[in-house]
Amino acid sequence: MGMSTGGGGGVKADPNVTPMIDVMLVLLIIFMITIPQINAGFTAVPPEGQNLKPHPEEDGDQVLGIDDQGRYYLNKQPVRNEDLETLVREIYGVEGRDDYIMYVKAHKDLQYLKVIDAMDKLSKNGVRVAALISEQSPGTESLVESDRLRPGGN
Amino acid sequence: MGMSTGGGGGGLTNEINVTPMIDVLLVLLVIFMIIVPMSRKAIDTQLPDPNPQPAQPNANPDQIVLEVLPDDKYAINKEPIDKAKVFERLKSIYDPRPEKIIFVKGDTMTTYANVVWAMDQARGAGVKVIGLAPK
Repeated sequence: MGMSTGGGGGVKADPNVTPMIDVMLVLLIIFMITIPQINAGFTAVPPEGQNLKPHPEEDGDQVLGIDDQGRYYLNKQPVRNEDLETLVREIYGVEGRDDYIMYVKAHKDLQYLKVIDAMDKLSKNGVRVAALISEQSPGTESLVESDRLRPGGN
Repeated sequence: MGMSTGGGGGGLTNEINVTPMIDVLLVLLVIFMIIVPMSRKAIDTQLPDPNPQPAQPNANPDQIVLEVLPDDKYAINKEPIDKAKVFERLKSIYDPRPEKIIFVKGDTMTTYANVVWAMDQARGAGVKVIGLAPK
């Protein structure tokens, strides 16, 4: 590029933005690829609600997904229904584990039987609290004060 | 920028004005970066005790059980109630009540969304602990 070597005219030399665009584009593409990957294989539309408690994602969170066919996914990996109990016990049955919360992301139109069945299996294998992942209805805010205080905290 | 107005006297090597493109890309990038760790929201529920004590029929007659029946019908302590009035009723129960515990019992034929709706209303009415009733 002849221009970048020129620069005799004064201080107004334009910076060469091409590498920056390259980086941006690569980052953009990386993000665009990783987002669907995060939910790969598992698609469930969680129900909507208004008074929800924020639960920022953390490492080590265990998420049970139940898709619209009632299939189970443990941390986004499909698991056979009959294997679920064993796998959950492996996670929560460990001595010294100090949290007994499991996130449950289930499809909103599922028959409740399918969900309570799963809960039943969780409770038998060491899970004490099931956090039912829901989405904030657009334009609403929780009526519970502690949900609003620190959006990032508990 | 002087360059873009410079009008191609030198030949075909005009540089495109990339600034708006960078703007758009940066905005897209920021949007994606915000969406990825987007704060997740959930309703905490206590799962039923896997080994229930043998004798506890009506051990606590004071407890509130919200039933979610099929076809979008609801009942509080067996008493059917209009969907539109569920929130009001819960609020009037829990405002004066010190123990903010509710049991939500969903019929197996109802949909998951209805049960979550019911829990949502309960939380809005001041309930702190939601217990799932066993099947």
